[in-house]
Amino acid sequence: MFKRIMAGALTLALWGAAALSGPAQAETGETLATIKDRGHLLCTGHNGSYLGFAEVDDQGNWHGFDIDLCRALATAIFGDDEGHLKIVPTGWAQRFPALQSGDIDIIVKATGWTFNRDTDLGVQFSRPYVLAPIRMLTRKELGAESIADLDGGTICVPAGTTIERYVAEYAAATGIQADFLAIEKTEETDAAYLSGRCDAYAQWDVVLATVRLKADNPDDHVILPDVMNAEPVAMGMRQGDDNFVDIANWVANALWLAEVNGVTSENVDEMKANPPSPAVAKLLGATPGIGAQLGLEDDWAYNVIKKFGNFAEVWRRNVGEDSPYKLDRSINATYKDGGVFYPLVLD
Amino acid sequence: MLAVLKLRKTRNWIIQALFVGALAGIVIFGAVTASQTMQAQGMTSGFGFLFRSTGWPISFSLIPYGFGDPYWKALLIGALNTLFLAAISLTLSTLVGLLVAVLRTTRNGVMNALGTIYVDTFRNIPIILQVFFWYAVYTHLPRPREAYDVAGTAFLSARGLFLPGLNVTGLSAFIAIVSGIAAIVLALWIAHGRRFSRKKPAARRRLSWTVAGIGALAVMAVLVAGRIPDTQLLSLPELKGLNFKGGINVSPELAAMATAIAIYGGAYLAEIFRAGFLAVRRGQIEAAQSLGLSGWDVFAKVRLPLAIRAILPTLTNQYVWLLKATTLGIAVGFADFFMVVAVSITQSGQTMELIGILMAGFLTINYTLSSVLNRINRSIALKGQNIN
Repeated sequence: MFKRIMAGALTLALWGAAALSGPAQAETGETLATIKDRGHLLCTGHNGSYLGFAEVDDQGNWHGFDIDLCRALATAIFGDDEGHLKIVPTGWAQRFPALQSGDIDIIVKATGWTFNRDTDLGVQFSRPYVLAPIRMLTRKELGAESIADLDGGTICVPAGTTIERYVAEYAAATGIQADFLAIEKTEETDAAYLSGRCDAYAQWDVVLATVRLKADNPDDHVILPDVMNAEPVAMGMRQGDDNFVDIANWVANALWLAEVNGVTSENVDEMKANPPSPAVAKLLGATPGIGAQLGLEDDWAYNVIKKFGNFAEVWRRNVGEDSPYKLDRSINATYKDGGVFYPLVLD
Repeated sequence: MLAVLKLRKTRNWIIQALFVGALAGIVIFGAVTASQTMQAQGMTSGFGFLFRSTGWPISFSLIPYGFGDPYWKALLIGALNTLFLAAISLTLSTLVGLLVAVLRTTRNGVMNALGTIYVDTFRNIPIILQVFFWYAVYTHLPRPREAYDVAGTAFLSARGLFLPGLNVTGLSAFIAIVSGIAAIVLALWIAHGRRFSRKKPAARRRLSWTVAGIGALAVMAVLVAGRIPDTQLLSLPELKGLNFKGGINVSPELAAMATAIAIYGGAYLAEIFRAGFLAVRRGQIEAAQSLGLSGWDVFAKVRLPLAIRAILPTLTNQYVWLLKATTLGIAVGFADFFMVVAVSITQSGQTMELIGILMAGFLTINYTLSSVLNRINRSIALKGQNIN
């Protein structure tokens, strides 16, 4: 009897699911309309602090690289981010469900662009805005000069992240035999490495730099030079809303375009008054033509640059020389300085 | 029609049918809504992902696992790890509980105080804190190169405990353990089970020892047959490069979990055992003593058997509870069933399906455990009389 009831229920459920409507993804322009009606943008924060990218200070203010991007988006849409942005603290595992259920409008949270997220989870990614090199932190006393010297050692990795995959792939490709210890919480993983449970710690070099600062004696630790992989970090949006994806892409692009043309938060008004080139004139709204196609005002990029500066300034402030982390830009620079990033043309 | 409704039997039947129908309706509604929204958001649902390769490592596994293995295998490894941890920690906590219960029921004041302090301390500290405490203790031991060494065969370091082991495949070790346990259980059953009560005691003893002997031979045969080719049968841990190679490694994660559950669970079990001992009337014990039985014989042949009958239902509950405590493994990175499911959720995004698998898995494990213990409870119950 019980079996029969269960079988019947299951059949009904499947039949009902099949009979109901097919895919109805986000419509283009839907997200922007919703945000404008609501009066503020909902963006991801972090459940603790992800140093350099999303941190909370002792006054409860969010700041960091990803937070600045959220602010820039809000500024592009509303002309100002004050009162037009709400940071929603989100854990790693909740990112995608929160996006799909509408708790947030966009994921800007150190998120790598992967096949499964792009296809199975219904996420549409923007252009990558950071390439995060995955490297290893280890103790100098082990005498390792490259990852190959860690053969036979134990490596701490953050559980449930793309880093787990990169390290596994690297070890398989180079034939290194190592034990992996995956731990879920960032604080616990840091503690496991620092207590000597692992010989090395695999992470973004950005994060490793912060772990090193936590050690009793930071000079005892070294970040090995080999780069196992570079994670393309991108913003994630609901699939199907092309207009919103365009906005995210072109806001990031405005930051690079400003950088390669020498536009900064200081000289932006001067540049707007006498634009050195047609591209800059268009970017800063001196000549019209970048607003209406996106559903924004023509001066959206001007507002963003006035407030946050160009890409180099955002980097310096949050993770570069003006921050405690002192990170080199290396591959994250624009092509002019030997990096991999380049602006798209404003025509 | 109304006359039919007046019949209490029919009425009750209709009410129950409505209740079951409403429940089924809620479940169906939930399933349909979930699958509809997931479809609308362009998310893939279903169990197809179980056959995709994972591409991420698992820190602890009893069976061989590679990055190319599918999700179902990762989940199976998680379930096996949970069972493995449960087997170790339930056994240990039972031993601890028995010891402390004996301490608390003696008339010696010092031992009594010791037992009381133990129970009151460990029962009132949340188990998660105890897990963190033991993990910190085990990971702050010296590095492998400065490991504590016991006669050059066993080593204790921040990478865990390394013991001499056998160079056999995981599968043959598993078969050996299972056949060993089976032989012991069968031998005990022949010696004490009701089914063989018609045989003469001498014949029973002979049969029981024969079974035990065959079991021991089978275990040895399986281990020798399962030897990894071109290796010595006995494997000693030795320092090679950054870590020890060879032997058996008890990782700090496993050790911390087993210690915490054994100590915390031991405090609870001690109270249950103590209640059982106190439930045995003094008269029974005095009767045993008057027969001239030694102290140990009184305990093993009178007090313990009678106490077990009184406590088994409570004990079953406590065991199920402790089994669920293994899910704290995620806090220190022990790859138990819950942690593997949690990582799979983040890696594949199939939240609904994986939570379903998690629930089904724990339901199966706990239901099996409690039904086995209930079966034992029924079989040892004294027929037609109370325990005294």
